[in-house]
Amino acid sequence: MGFSLFQVLFLQTSAWNGRGLSRTFSFGFTGFTALLPMQSPSVPGNGLMRKFILYNGFIELAWIVFMTKKARILVVDDEEQISEIICAALSSDGYVLSRAFSGEQGVNAVRKEKFDLVIMDIQMPGMDGISALGEIKKIDPETEAIIITAYGSMSTAIQSMRKGAFDYLHKPFNIAELRTVVERALEKKKFNDITKAIFSTIRSEELLSIIIDSVTRILKADESLLVLINKTGKPYIAVSYGLDGQAREKSRLEVCTRILHRLPVDDINAITLVDEPFNDAKFTDIALIGEIKFAMILPLMEGNRLTGLININRKRPNAYFTENDTQRAKVFGSLVNLALRNANLYRQLQETQSQLIQAEKMSVLGQMSGGLAHEINNPISGILGLTQLLLEKEERSTQSYKDLKDIEKAVFRCKKIITSLLSFARQDESLMSPINVNEPLEETLTLCAHQMELQRITIVRKSAEGLPMINADFQQLMQVFLNLLTNARDAMPDGGTITISTRPAQVGDKEGVEITIADTGVGIPTNMLTRVFDPFFTTKPVGRGTGLGLSVCLGIINKHSGTITAQSEPGKGSAFTLIIPT
Amino acid sequence: MHKKILIVDDEDIVRNYARRALSSRGWAVSEAADGTSALALIEKEDFTAVICDLKMPDMRGEEVIKKIKARRPAVKIIVVTGSFSKLANPIVPGVEVYGFLIKPFGINEIRDIMEKMLKEE
Repeated sequence: MGFSLFQVLFLQTSAWNGRGLSRTFSFGFTGFTALLPMQSPSVPGNGLMRKFILYNGFIELAWIVFMTKKARILVVDDEEQISEIICAALSSDGYVLSRAFSGEQGVNAVRKEKFDLVIMDIQMPGMDGISALGEIKKIDPETEAIIITAYGSMSTAIQSMRKGAFDYLHKPFNIAELRTVVERALEKKKFNDITKAIFSTIRSEELLSIIIDSVTRILKADESLLVLINKTGKPYIAVSYGLDGQAREKSRLEVCTRILHRLPVDDINAITLVDEPFNDAKFTDIALIGEIKFAMILPLMEGNRLTGLININRKRPNAYFTENDTQRAKVFGSLVNLALRNANLYRQLQETQSQLIQAEKMSVLGQMSGGLAHEINNPISGILGLTQLLLEKEERSTQSYKDLKDIEKAVFRCKKIITSLLSFARQDESLMSPINVNEPLEETLTLCAHQMELQRITIVRKSAEGLPMINADFQQLMQVFLNLLTNARDAMPDGGTITISTRPAQVGDKEGVEITIADTGVGIPTNMLTRVFDPFFTTKPVGRGTGLGLSVCLGIINKHSGTITAQSEPGKGSAFTLIIPT
Repeated sequence: MHKKILIVDDEDIVRNYARRALSSRGWAVSEAADGTSALALIEKEDFTAVICDLKMPDMRGEEVIKKIKARRPAVKIIVVTGSFSKLANPIVPGVEVYGFLIKPFGINEIRDIMEKMLKEE
């Protein structure tokens, strides 16, 4: 092609926008059978700058393409003049247009390329519009279609709607009508795409950034942020768009925090609109508030619980949120809530699954180690007994005596391992009774208080009163506490502080207690944190630990339907948190 | 009091060191590698004590102990076990055992328990 068709049509459009359609532009196109791209698809779009980094490169790429591309429209009409008019009008609106001149060509085009919208005449020689629509919907069900019918042919219009057309236009139609219908069809497509994108991932971090991209686009935001509430009830920005610098982040988080506290409890689903927050006494003292002209707040819910919010800000004067925007936000909000719930359920599923795997591992190991310990006992007994007999005959000064002593020591080590293996295997024999968790804790502390003192370890107790009674095995809980306290002690060879706190907790819909044992020791490297509960995993020097202590703890706590988790910061200390339901 | 003891264990190595640990302290030690031969010996001889493993190739240790006690009510029984859960009396209903040895045990543990028994006599 010697000239760009787009340029030609652009000229045409400008003229037409000036005053109605001039006919002088129909030159040069006669006899075109090929599909002509009106504009290169790789036009630099208004790409969204995102602060959030996606972890999946492919999805990221697909998403950016989706978020930034201009809508692609295919016009299928055998009457070139009509086709030209449509193309001219729509390309001036920034859409990317392609043309086909028969039903067959249209179907082929859809087979080769992805279109957001097909505008198609019903009456065409060869394959008619209705059949072509059927084919197109088969190839790409997500493509929206607008059908052009002759005036008065209501039945074909209905037929086309049944085949999946979004809407129809009667000939002759005016450009304003065309634009409205196209906009509505593309809006629907956009929502479909966004819905699809939101539900395309269950990985939370991806989902959050897709959400913020979508909301920024749908609501034409200058800034948007998704605020979630952490475990301790503090709001934080999970992902944001358009927030430059910490000061701005701090400012917007403050706005959101205040709104979170003020959200009406009875109508918590409501969307809040704040016009000119800098004039609002509730916000006026916040730094950088002057930048925000219009703010919209969309609450995030899980069931009846407020889990966070999305804040969308416009900085342009007069860019107030319309009724239409609120409607979109409402639809979007319910989609997001659903998607977040999905992601949350998925996360829970994964957690449960890994707990099950761990429990299964433990049970297999329990059975195995029980049998193993018994089998090994006899030869170990023999080595121990015979070594000791030999020792009796040996002079204390000989090398043999020293060697035999080493063998004896090695056997004692084996004995210790066997003992812990057996206590590991014995976990299924438990005696449950209602207890106050502070009691086994106190008793364990009595046991090891002296030892702790010797090692210059201070014990800080933060016991809550009125803890719910839990159904538990007193001895086994003592075993768990002793294990955790011993680990904490070993992590602080130069002394330190162990803080033991107990408090009521919520486990699903049940009551429970939370026990945290935190030390100020060496900490656990992050890459090892997930392995600390694995049987035989130990960081202690050879001979000091069997690597079964925490596995036993996990086994016991699992049997109490509870959870045990480890947090640690190398150099600062570790904390083990137990949650046991009543 | 005569110091006669029977060690019942199917592990040669365990019988070996247990025997030597005790014979060097003046005990006359007999050995049996299974329940049947243990009962045959009990039938013929009178022992001060029987050290008996609970795991036996031909019959359960509990059964052997029951039969020994039925034949020789005065004999002291020391149970050898690898399992802590077996540490409680009565191992066999109606039979009081004198003590327990937990595998792996050393020569001092076996000597100590026997000496304690002698002192109590």
